[in-house]
Amino acid sequence: MADVMPSVSISEQIRLVAALRWRILRNSLRKKNNRLDLIGLIFTGVFASVLVVGLSFAFYAGAYAFISQGRLEWMSLLFWGIFLFWQLFPVFVAGFGANFEFRTLLRFPLSLRAFYVIGLAYGLADFSSLASVSWLLAMTAGATVAKPGVLPAMLLIVAIFLLLNVTIERLVGSWLERLLARRRTRELFLGLFVLSMISLNFLSPLMQRYGASLRSAFLRLLPYFVWLPPSLAGRALAAVIRLEPAGFLLSAALLLVYLVLFTALLWRRFAAQYRGEELSETAAPARAAARPATAKDDGPDRLSLLSPQVAAIVRKEFHYLTRNGFAYLTLLMPPLLILIFSMNFAGRHPTVGGKGVSAEMFFPGMMAYLILILMAPAYNSFAYEGRGIQTYFTAPVRFRDVFLGKNLMLISILWLEITLSLGMLTWRVGLPSAHMLVATCAAIIFTVVGQLTIANWSSITFPRRMEFGQMRGQRQSGMAVLVAFGSQILMGGISAVILFTGNWTGNPWLPAEAFVFLAAVAVGGYFASLDALSQLAETRKEILIEALCR
Amino acid sequence: MPEMAIQTQKLTRTFGALTAVDSVDLQVTPGQFFGFLGPNGAGKSTTIKILTGLLAPTSGSMQLLGVDFAAKPVEVKRQIGVVPEGMGLFERLTGSEYLKFVGRMYGLDRATTQRRSEELLDFMQLADRPKTMIADYSHGMQKKLALAAAVIHGPRILFLDEPFEGVDALAAGALKALLARMTERGTTIFLTSHVLEIVERLCSHVGIIHKGRLVAQGSIEELRAGISGEAGTKTTLEQIFLSIVGQDGTERPQLEELSWLM
Repeated sequence: MADVMPSVSISEQIRLVAALRWRILRNSLRKKNNRLDLIGLIFTGVFASVLVVGLSFAFYAGAYAFISQGRLEWMSLLFWGIFLFWQLFPVFVAGFGANFEFRTLLRFPLSLRAFYVIGLAYGLADFSSLASVSWLLAMTAGATVAKPGVLPAMLLIVAIFLLLNVTIERLVGSWLERLLARRRTRELFLGLFVLSMISLNFLSPLMQRYGASLRSAFLRLLPYFVWLPPSLAGRALAAVIRLEPAGFLLSAALLLVYLVLFTALLWRRFAAQYRGEELSETAAPARAAARPATAKDDGPDRLSLLSPQVAAIVRKEFHYLTRNGFAYLTLLMPPLLILIFSMNFAGRHPTVGGKGVSAEMFFPGMMAYLILILMAPAYNSFAYEGRGIQTYFTAPVRFRDVFLGKNLMLISILWLEITLSLGMLTWRVGLPSAHMLVATCAAIIFTVVGQLTIANWSSITFPRRMEFGQMRGQRQSGMAVLVAFGSQILMGGISAVILFTGNWTGNPWLPAEAFVFLAAVAVGGYFASLDALSQLAETRKEILIEALCR
Repeated sequence: MPEMAIQTQKLTRTFGALTAVDSVDLQVTPGQFFGFLGPNGAGKSTTIKILTGLLAPTSGSMQLLGVDFAAKPVEVKRQIGVVPEGMGLFERLTGSEYLKFVGRMYGLDRATTQRRSEELLDFMQLADRPKTMIADYSHGMQKKLALAAAVIHGPRILFLDEPFEGVDALAAGALKALLARMTERGTTIFLTSHVLEIVERLCSHVGIIHKGRLVAQGSIEELRAGISGEAGTKTTLEQIFLSIVGQDGTERPQLEELSWLM
């Protein structure tokens, strides 16, 4: 008969999980690739720290100035800044929190309470949370230096605000992950996005026509914002300084109500996961097939110009793209943001009366932004292959065909998005001069193809498995991030210098000529690199397979 | 001398100080159903990975169907099919999409790929879940799909790493019949399995690897004769296996040490 063990306390379970994570990290450092990954992480961490520390000074100075100058209402603005960053940054950039391996933990006699606490603690380990906590601490320090008596109240408000934010972030991440896990909701999401993009185009004429009434409606709504958590945090603090205990208690109590409400919602979500919630597409038992298992491929082959192997890889990449919710989101964001930028900052836009950025600079700037976002996944292009990577090595295919297939798919997406964005920019901002248009197009070819060569090398040198369709804990290898960062800066720097050279020398066609030359060199270099990279993939296949089949 | 299906000379693979495969000289003739046996960690999977191009040998050479693997890897891979450890499936494709992908990777034309995919899915009883992604298949279904993908191009050598693990008895029976038919038609099958009864029933020849070294190789009859000293005895493969790998003096774990479990 099995011994019945005494129950283990939550703190002990958390300590065990933390120790497990630490041991996994320590053991992983025995491998060279993982050590390089850590070095890359440290480097990127240093860059990120500079940003966080710089803004921490700003939050410190802001809190100090607002309190010492008596502008207490303005403290809400600082809380709003942190709140928006904490909640929106993961959606736009990084994904949600560190990977909470609940399925692994569920094997153990873990209580739901411990499961919840561990899940929440994991939420504090991502960049947006760490940065926000640093800023909250900086605010606390600034407020305390300005008025030392405020420290206890500030600590209480910051603690509630912090817990509330991490709870909301985990909740939103969990909902989005659930939403994007199913094909139907993913399609609905895409539809809503397209609809919102189209709607945004009507925003400007609507603003012109109904601007005044909309503004007054917004101003009427503004007072209700004070009932939202960031404003409540600011108001609670202001009430303490004004020695209004009732105001403080009311605001703090409302903050607590928010915390309880979101905690209850998150508890529900985690409870579903604890019970073994299945997010997979077809978890339900299948009914008997109503149609043949294989759809007929009788139509004309749209990829007949490609070799069968390259065409097969392009098709596979397309299937993978359409089934990966997070990748979907990444693709939809850039054109949407370009549209928003073009409506707000562009020179010819009627609402800014020609005082914005000119089309000459806006065009290359927006294209650079688009490439920056869309090229990032190429630096770890085997991330979602999983065990399938073995097929590339057992099939009679040279690795250059694998690269070609993957790169062709990415270039097709880029082409589509760049065409869409160029169309939007032309419509919203107007066309730049002919020499700038040619220079921008040639620069796109140069930077994309040039980066692809480096990205292919990075993909086989610093591979890292990522979980399909998950938004949590999706992190590239630290070295891959560094390589991407370095090559984007290099390409961007070269392009910027060349663009400005045209102005300095007074020869407007010089950048276009230079970029056409560089584009030709990049394309030649790309094809020349394929065989060498194919050879490299062969020598590094063990590392690649090991990293992706884990 | 007839052309060998698989031939290796002093095939060796080391991982740091550990020699996982140590100077292995394998000889498998065409049409043989070859069972590759060994205790856990003996080097079976490492050997099969080397033979299928998933791992490079540290030293030694190998020829498949008379072609040097290192010199012409793509030519060799055209002739072989593989169900690797972990199956190597793209889990976010449907079964049909995956078979079409593999067929095209092996250079089959669209019509042939389509026809063979349908036939294989029917045979493997996977045709009734057309929209189901591989990630949502059961382990046994994934195994059957991996096997279907390995044979879609009609390979001359088939490498199978634990092909019956997790496959139900009904499907296993059909698979065994399929494999037997393939060997009758000249396909060489190289199989690893922990289930010695399966190997004994299916395989004509056996190789036993222990601590990286190939300690026995031949037909089951030859191995029986080697153990008992005479041919035609009723020694089982399990007895042969235990007598060969149990001769190195390794102590078996003592149950008394786990008294708290009993």
